[in-house]
Amino acid sequence: MSEAALALDGVVAGYGGGDVLRGVTFEVPANQITCVVGPNGAGKSTLMKAISGLLKPRLGTVTLNGEKLIGKSPRQILKLGVVQVPQNHSLFKDMTVRENIDLGGYILSDRAQVAKRIDAVFDLFPQVRDWAGQRAGELSGGQQRLVEFARALMLDPALILLDEPSMGLSPLVLRSVLDAARQMNANGATILLVEQNARAGLKLSHRGVVMENGVVRLTGTGTEVLNHPEIGELYLGGAVKNGAQPG
Amino acid sequence: MARELIHAIVDGILTGGVYALMAVGLTLIFGVLDIINIAQGVLVILGAYLSYSLSTRAHIDLFTGLLITIPVMFIIGVVIHWAFIRRLRGTERTSMTLLVTYAVALIIEGVLYKVYGADDVQLQASYTTSSVHIFGFYLPWIFIYGFIVAVCLVVALYLLLYRTRLGRSVRATMQDENAARLVGIEVNRVAALTFGIGVAVTAVGGMFFGATNAFNPNSGYDLISRLLAIIILGGLGSIGGALAASVFMLTLESVVTIWQPTWAIAVFYAALVLVLLIRPTGFLGRKAVRAQ
Ligand SMILES: Nc1ncnc2c1ncn2[C@@H]1O[C@H](COP(=O)(O)OP(=O)(O)OP(=O)(O)O)[C@@H](O)[C@H]1O
Ligand SMILES: [Mg+2]
Repeated sequence: MSEAALALDGVVAGYGGGDVLRGVTFEVPANQITCVVGPNGAGKSTLMKAISGLLKPRLGTVTLNGEKLIGKSPRQILKLGVVQVPQNHSLFKDMTVRENIDLGGYILSDRAQVAKRIDAVFDLFPQVRDWAGQRAGELSGGQQRLVEFARALMLDPALILLDEPSMGLSPLVLRSVLDAARQMNANGATILLVEQNARAGLKLSHRGVVMENGVVRLTGTGTEVLNHPEIGELYLGGAVKNGAQPG
Repeated sequence: MARELIHAIVDGILTGGVYALMAVGLTLIFGVLDIINIAQGVLVILGAYLSYSLSTRAHIDLFTGLLITIPVMFIIGVVIHWAFIRRLRGTERTSMTLLVTYAVALIIEGVLYKVYGADDVQLQASYTTSSVHIFGFYLPWIFIYGFIVAVCLVVALYLLLYRTRLGRSVRATMQDENAARLVGIEVNRVAALTFGIGVAVTAVGGMFFGATNAFNPNSGYDLISRLLAIIILGGLGSIGGALAASVFMLTLESVVTIWQPTWAIAVFYAALVLVLLIRPTGFLGRKAVRAQ
């Protein structure tokens, strides 16, 4: 197993009511895809927000290559190379796709560098270049996701947090979105993925983390988690027990 | 009759330009911070009193005085945001800010009573009484100057919003605050600046209002109800809508005044109700005013 890029230790966080995360501990190895699965309300999105700085954990530590993230603003965390694509669509719908991509480089002060990054991102996602002049709100759900991915790559991040990128997409589009995630990983980014479609997510991932009720229930390689009998029944509808999956 | 009508329309458009400026400030604040600034009306009156002091004490021309009152009002806006608005969070935020900005209005009104007393005053300059004769009409210079300044500032605001990095971060925050934070926009700073800008423009509105109406510390309430009607009609958070609704409402009011001056204000609000019945989101509002 390669070195951990991100490490969480005893993270406790919530929204002012009770704690949603109740001591979350796991590691995300560098240059791999780690997939978090778990039932609705388990705290997966809360976990992502606690890493990206949208939410400040009450207790515990989150470290990126040894550097503490807790207490830093989303902007500071972004500067360290961590970018989040949230669960709900997050494009600025009244702006063009190009303006959205451009805003992905908002913290860069050098315009020439922004222009260079836009070209690089368009090369990675050629379709996105074709949509550049369209209003983001006019794109389909799957198209919007790809634009969000492209925008996330503007800073050439070290760690990308993807929260249920396939939500609401047809199986075919789901495949292309997950392929894009795989491609981002192939280009060197570490990925922490939350995926409702646990089977597709785990198959794609090197590591799996099962969350339940605000704590980590199980970790292992993607295949281990996928084939764990109890987990198969709980989250994968039982059908996965024999491990053989079509497509 | 036709002449009178045209005159009323011209009057309405000119006044509408100045109201547009104040309404844009209010709608911007709503769009970015999700709050209705009830104090906006009293702030207009504060702007008028600042102009009054500069012109009566220091003999500074009303328009030159804007170079002082605009930045002063900007700072007052930032301070109000810092002191009262910034801390409000959570689910009750929008209704809390109604109360808080109402309290701010009362505080400012109290200070104005203390400093200036309750008597009506009006801003005076050569151009507040003299008129120009064009196309057979007599138009007071103040209306023309006020309109020109308002249009210039609205254009400047537009350029700020659509052509600058700050403007882009303001629009991004209006559309999706969390997404804005995730691309590294410091939304608290954006909010403070927006509040400052929204209040700064009341300096111009105040000067124009004070030069065309007698006012006292209590005059802000009538103004805020008109401004609210305008931004609701235009579609909350919509800048273009605020412009269109200002000109529409003030022209309507001005035209109705020809026949029945006492009805003018009633028609103003009746028009609001009527438009909202047909189009609940106002002229340019969308289904949801902003993304959730
Ligand atoms: N902004 C919020 N304010 C208050 N409570 C919240 C907020 N967001 C989420 N919660 C609560 O926190 C708990 C965990 O939510 P979270 O969104 O992290 O779950 P999740 O695992 O991502 O679920 P899903 O699979 O449905 O996305 C839920 O009980 C939810 O109601
Ligand atoms: Mg979630």
